[in-house]
Parts: sequence; structure tokens; C-alpha cells
Amino acid sequence: MDYVQQRVAQAASNTDASSSSLFTPLNAILLSLLLYTAYTFLKPTPPPSLPREEPATVFRTFTPRTLLPYNGENGMPVYLAVRGRVFDVTRGRNFYGPGGPYANFAGRDASRGLACGSFDEDMLTKDLDGPLDTLADLGAEEMEALRGWEERFEEKYLVVGRLVAVGEEGAREDGGQEKA
Amino acid sequence: MGFFDNLLLNLDASVTGLFGQWNIWTSLLATALVGFLTYQVATRQDPDTHPFLLARQAQGTAVRQPGESPVYRSQAAPHGMLLNAGLNVKDPGASKWSRGRDGDLRDVWRQAVAGVQEPGPTKGAKGRILTVLGAEKIVEHNLDDITRQINLIGQHIADQGGNRVAIYLPNSVELLATLFACAFYNLTAVILPFDQPDDAVISMLRRSATDTVVTAPGSFPFDAVVKNYPSLRQLIWVVDEGSKHMDWNEVPQGTGGSVNVSTWQDIVNDAPLDAGKTLPPLEGQKEPRDVTVFWQSKPGQQEEMVRFTAGNFVSAIAAQIFAIPTSQRMGPSDLFLPADSLANSHTLVLTLAALFSNASVAFNSVASQADDLATATGGIAPTILVATPAALLKLHTESKPALSSFIGSKLHWLQTRSLTQKGMMPAAGGLLSSYYDRTVRPALGTTTTTTTPNKKKLRLIVTAERVGADTPKLSSAVLSDLRALTGARIMYALTAAKVAGAVTQTNFYDYRVFDDKCSHFGPPLTSTEVLFRDTEQYKTSDNISQGEIIVRGPCVAGMEAALGVAGKMREDNTLAYV
Repeated sequence: MDYVQQRVAQAASNTDASSSSLFTPLNAILLSLLLYTAYTFLKPTPPPSLPREEPATVFRTFTPRTLLPYNGENGMPVYLAVRGRVFDVTRGRNFYGPGGPYANFAGRDASRGLACGSFDEDMLTKDLDGPLDTLADLGAEEMEALRGWEERFEEKYLVVGRLVAVGEEGAREDGGQEKA
Repeated sequence: MGFFDNLLLNLDASVTGLFGQWNIWTSLLATALVGFLTYQVATRQDPDTHPFLLARQAQGTAVRQPGESPVYRSQAAPHGMLLNAGLNVKDPGASKWSRGRDGDLRDVWRQAVAGVQEPGPTKGAKGRILTVLGAEKIVEHNLDDITRQINLIGQHIADQGGNRVAIYLPNSVELLATLFACAFYNLTAVILPFDQPDDAVISMLRRSATDTVVTAPGSFPFDAVVKNYPSLRQLIWVVDEGSKHMDWNEVPQGTGGSVNVSTWQDIVNDAPLDAGKTLPPLEGQKEPRDVTVFWQSKPGQQEEMVRFTAGNFVSAIAAQIFAIPTSQRMGPSDLFLPADSLANSHTLVLTLAALFSNASVAFNSVASQADDLATATGGIAPTILVATPAALLKLHTESKPALSSFIGSKLHWLQTRSLTQKGMMPAAGGLLSSYYDRTVRPALGTTTTTTTPNKKKLRLIVTAERVGADTPKLSSAVLSDLRALTGARIMYALTAAKVAGAVTQTNFYDYRVFDDKCSHFGPPLTSTEVLFRDTEQYKTSDNISQGEIIVRGPCVAGMEAALGVAGKMREDNTLAYV
């Protein structure tokens, strides 16, 4: 109580000593606060930008041999070919990548295997330098199954290239213009 | 006393000491601070569109062909879908949910005559068609009268054995009526740019193999054409009020013996009153014919002749309608003024889009070549204006003095800040804004006449860069200044000879300013997709998409066109010149 009285008396004696100057510490604090707020509100900000997009994959022509490394091992993406079209199935790595149930197809022409519903080694074209599998001996039912697979792939995955037999790489412009 | 008691005592003393310094200045500063904060919070508004929508305006394909960039499309026309190919015209009685026809030019006029079909407060409202004569006189044309003219002129040309009809007129109702007459009566329309030298006119007639010309006396070199272009069979003069009394059917001796000359007014007035009141029926109508236009590049270079199919046109019209956000669509309350030649496919497409949206359309014959917007908008207050970049640049230059005054520059800074920082159009009607109107804002579309259909203010300006035609370039800073000055949004388009309408067009809500000489041209429209093909100098890599601009889509003559100029995609996926 003593203290309060003492302070009141002190304050009362001080009133006439207050100045009307602009340059008091209190004014300085308020002024800087005002300037800072004005700055933060008014400072120009550049228009927002989004992070860069992933660069587009270049459509390319594969032969069975150049397609082989794209099997998901050593950090490579997983590609597989269906009837001359190469799909990037990296997003389905669990199925088509190393250790997956369809791992045999990675980096290979998977047309025959998908058509016959078989994941066996003998479904793949053995001779990498030979002509592509024409699938001529398959029946209507198998071709129907293959078309089903193709439609699924078109929905889910990107066509990143086309597959031709070795020696036919120059013959572009026929199937190369397919839309992705 | 302990240490903390001392500390508290000191604190108390210093706080009291500090606030003991409170004086009149402190009160002023505190008021200013609170006032500023209140103002900022109270006037806070959402931007017109989400900033991220402007940060990436087009979508590229994830796979690209070697030697080419990814294919870019508008966000509104995703890959794997069809591009905007038509007007989605629903015939009467068709199910509400069925997919409409793509339509053609005939459907544009049918829609203009029928009025708004969607249920709502504006159902049945029709646009008006006006002709501005000088600064004072405005003539309104009855839509049914125009329908009658379309029928009678179309019938007349067809009866006389016409097949390919050249239209050589300034911006006018007759130009549009002839175009529709050709569409309804199975004729091929050829639109010539107006006010050309004699030999250019003859050359264009020859190249387009026309047999009929609809034109105005005084501008068409009749004698020279008859002498040099014997294939001309038929000529229709569009005579203005003042010289109606003269006998225009008389062909000068020795010239033009084989040309059948008549006047527009005679054809229309000599027909029985109730003739030609109804348009040819929809059922069993023939396939629409092509429309030929001429693209003028640099002076002295031959005009490029381009044949657009009806499909090209409707696709372009649909894309232009779609380019304006739903809440801001053109409608019966709008007055549309083309202050650029209708012989440009871009201007024509926008005008047709306005007609299809049942907006009112005004024609001003001086407007076609005018690079002075004050003249072009004299006597009328358009809400939507198509202007050339040259005219806009002139407007900008003329407004400079007003902007350099102290108050003018501060107000302009405020308006610009609202546009570029807050991403919103400054609201009209405020105290500051009305002062700005009076001091800085150029007199555009302000009118003293009382006959103007509406007193609304200008809200949209559309302008276009013409590829290879040396049109002056507008920088994004100039565009922003113009937005602030006119209070209207501006869409800047990239147009090319082989593309009806535009290739790309800046977003309706894009007010951003960049450090550039020529602004970007926005993303592709919903009727186009754009890619870049490698050139010697500019090659696409993982870091940048650039090269010669290639356009594809239903509004492109021949479905694909190379523009012959180099462009690139900026980081926000808008197209710009390299």
C-alpha cells in the first residue's frame, strides 16, 4: 500500500514535466511499429509460382535389345512393349518391377504373354535380334484378352516409345505419331 | 527486498515513465497505426481468381516427340478429350441432356433472332444491332428486317447464278447480313479487307475466283475491275442514305456490259413486304460452305488467302465464348463494338460470339481502320471492345501527361497495386476512383446522346497480336496501365492467318506484370493445342520448350498450321515470343 501511495505521489509530481516533443522514446517505438506494418502490408510481392514440372519424356524408338535395360533394376524405369508400343509402367513397379509377379515382362515384348495370360519365360521372344512376334498364331480369344490389357495400359500408363525389330529403326513416321 | 522485487519496481517505473511521455504526437501515431490496420483488414478482398491458376495456365503432355516440345493445352481442355469443336446447338424439342450439334454460321443468326434460351431472368432477351453514324446519330436495326435482308439478298444472288460472293464493305450490318445470306443460301463468302488499292482488290477477286461482289460505291474500282476481271457476273451496291436517289443500276457505256448491277436497297424494297420473313428451314439444309478471308501481313506483301470451313468458325466462336468465365459471359446487357476490321477472322469471330450470346452489337464504319479509340467509340458506350494494339498504345501514350501529375500518379499507383498485388480489378464508384475517373481516365465510350441502350461502363477490351504483320507489341506493364486507366479487363491474343479466332489468349483475370517488351499471350484456347518444333536457333530441351509455334485444332484451317515464328512456353505455361 505504501508503495502505491508513493508511486501515485511520484506520478502526480511528474505531470507538468511531460513534454510535447515528437522525439520521445515512446513515439519512436510507435513510429517504427507503424512503418514496419506499412512496409509488410505494402511491399510488392512477385506473383506466386509453382515448382517446375517434370521434364517430358522424349518419345523414342526401341529395338528388343535397347529395351532390355528398362527392367527396373539399377534404378532404371520399367518399360514393357505391347504390340509395338512401349509403355512406361514404372508406377506399377510392384507388379512389373524386379520381384513382382510380372517381372518377366519388364524390358521385353509382353504381347504374347499378356494375350495368353501366362508369365512364363517361353512366352518372350528369344531372339532379340530377330523379327518381332507377329502373334499370327493366336486365336480370337487371346487377341481379345490382349486388347483388354492394352486398354488398361492406355488408361493407366504413358506410351513412351515404339518397338521395332533390329534394322527397322529408320522406318519412322508410320506408327511414331501416335498420340500419348 | 529481494532481487525480483527490485526488478519489478524498475519495470513498473520504466513502463510508467514510458507512457508518461504520452503526448499529442503519440495519440496521432497511435490513431494512424490503428486506422491503417483497420483499413487493411476491412478492405481486404479475395483476388478475382486463385493465384495458382495463373501460375500454371496450360498443361503439357508428359511425352514429347523428338525435335518437338510437349503439346500444350488449356487447363479447361484436358489431354485425351476432344477440343472445343462447336457451339453445342440444341434443336427445339431435343432432350436437355443430349449433346448438341456443332452448328455453323446459320445457327449463330438463328440464336441471335431467337434470344436467350436458358431459363432465367434474361430468357427471351435479344441483343440489338446498331449502326453509329458520326458522333451523334445511332440507327437501330430491327432484327427481323435484317433477317428479311438476309433472305432477299441471298435469294437474289442465288437466282442470278452467283456462287462465290466477295464482300468488300466497311464494318457494317450489310457485311454481316451478306455473310449470313451466303451461309443460308449455299454460297461461298469471300471477305476482302476494306480500303485496299485497286490492283490488290483485283488480285484478291481473281485469286478467290469470285463471280459476285457486294460493295459500296466510291471505294470499289468498278471500271478497273470490269476491265481486268471479266469473270465478274454480278454486282450489288450498298448505297447509303444520302445517295439513294441516284440511278446506280445504270452501267457506264462501254464498260461492264456483262455485269448485272443492282443496289441493296432496290432488292430489299422492291420485294413484296411479306417476302423473305422466315429463314430457310433447319431440316434438310445443305452442308455449310467455306468462308474465305484474306490475311494482311506487312504492307506491300501479298495477302494470304485462307479458306475456313464452317467448322473452323464455330469452333473458334465456342472457344471465345468459353474464354470468358461463366460469371462474366457476354449477354443481353452487353454492348459489343468491334473497333477493328471485321475482315480479320479474330474480330469477326468475336462479333459472331457476341451475336450468339445475344449481346447487342454496334457497327461503326470508321472504326475499322481507326487507331484512335476516342473516335471509334464516339457516340456510343460499349461494354466490350475489340481494339487494335496500335489504338491501345496510342491511348496509353495520350494518357501519360495525366498520369505524371502528382495526384494522378498516386491514384494510378493505387489502382495498379490493386491489380498486380491483390489480383483484383479496382472497384468502381469509390471516392478515389471517381476522382481518378475525372482526372486520369481517358474519355472512352462516354457519350452525350441519350439514345445509347445502356449506361454501363466498358468492362472488357480484346486485342490481338497478328503474327508476321508487324503489329506493335504491348508489354505487360502497358497492359496493366491500360487496365487501370480504362477500368476494363484486357485479353491479349495471338492470332495467325490459318487460325480462325486466336491461337492463345491471356487469361481474363491475369493482371500480372513482368519485366518484358512484349507481354506473353496466355495459354491456348479450348479449341487449340500448341507445340514448338525445333529450329536452327531454338531447340526444346528438358529445361525449356521453345521453337517454331505449331497450332492444331478444329479452328485451324487444315487442322495444323506452322506459324513461322519462334515462341516459347514460360514457366507459368503461357506462350511468349522468344
